[in-house]
Amino acid sequence: MDIGLPKRVIEIEPASLPVPEPAPILEPSVDPLPVPEPAPEPARETTPR
Amino acid sequence: MKAASSVVRGLPTEVQVEPILAWRSWTLTGRRDGEGLLLRPVTAGSKAWRPREVAQASCRLAWSHEAPNADCSCGLHATRELDFLRRTRCPAVLGRVALWGRVIEHEHGYRARFAYPQRLRLICQFCFWQESAAASKPDVVSWYARDLLVPMCVHHLGVAEANGMRPRRILPAGIVDLRLRETYAVDALAV
Repeated sequence: MDIGLPKRVIEIEPASLPVPEPAPILEPSVDPLPVPEPAPEPARETTPR
Repeated sequence: MKAASSVVRGLPTEVQVEPILAWRSWTLTGRRDGEGLLLRPVTAGSKAWRPREVAQASCRLAWSHEAPNADCSCGLHATRELDFLRRTRCPAVLGRVALWGRVIEHEHGYRARFAYPQRLRLICQFCFWQESAAASKPDVVSWYARDLLVPMCVHHLGVAEANGMRPRRILPAGIVDLRLRETYAVDALAV
């Protein structure tokens, strides 16, 4: 895209940057749910050969 | 604004504190569920504009100078008039951007060192080319290979499908538009 010939240079130092703050990292407001312990494996039936 | 004593390649130099607001368009990529939205320059190979991060210009042609350089075409481009963007290739998003740092003003636009979008809106690129920004409200966003997202009106979705451009998934434009503004934390563009 041709934006034509240059006319002037502008040095801009804004007092505050026009950029939003980084997204906040939200911490959970409640305790995490307890993780259930794995159920014990059922004992294998041994079949006599 | 005050005139500065420095001169860049014979161009007058001024100093100011308010960022310049100008027009710009981007292509858009994202995942098939409409998440992970990313604005990308319409020029292939240029760096994406990441959400909540300042876009900073760099020159791909020469590492010996900072962008924008008066003797180069580098820098983050934006235009003074909205209609000028109707010449760009495959625009999916229109926006107003704030420009700062060193900004080289041209007859029809600007090249800047730093930028960030202030207002954004999805557009149907086909309506934008044929009519205007005001008449380019999309109904859907088509998801294509390489995560390319193309907003379209229902009419141009039909034209695209009839010409073999069948999207892999179709998303509601209103939801993608809202997600885009939330992702970049900017306001809606009213045109």
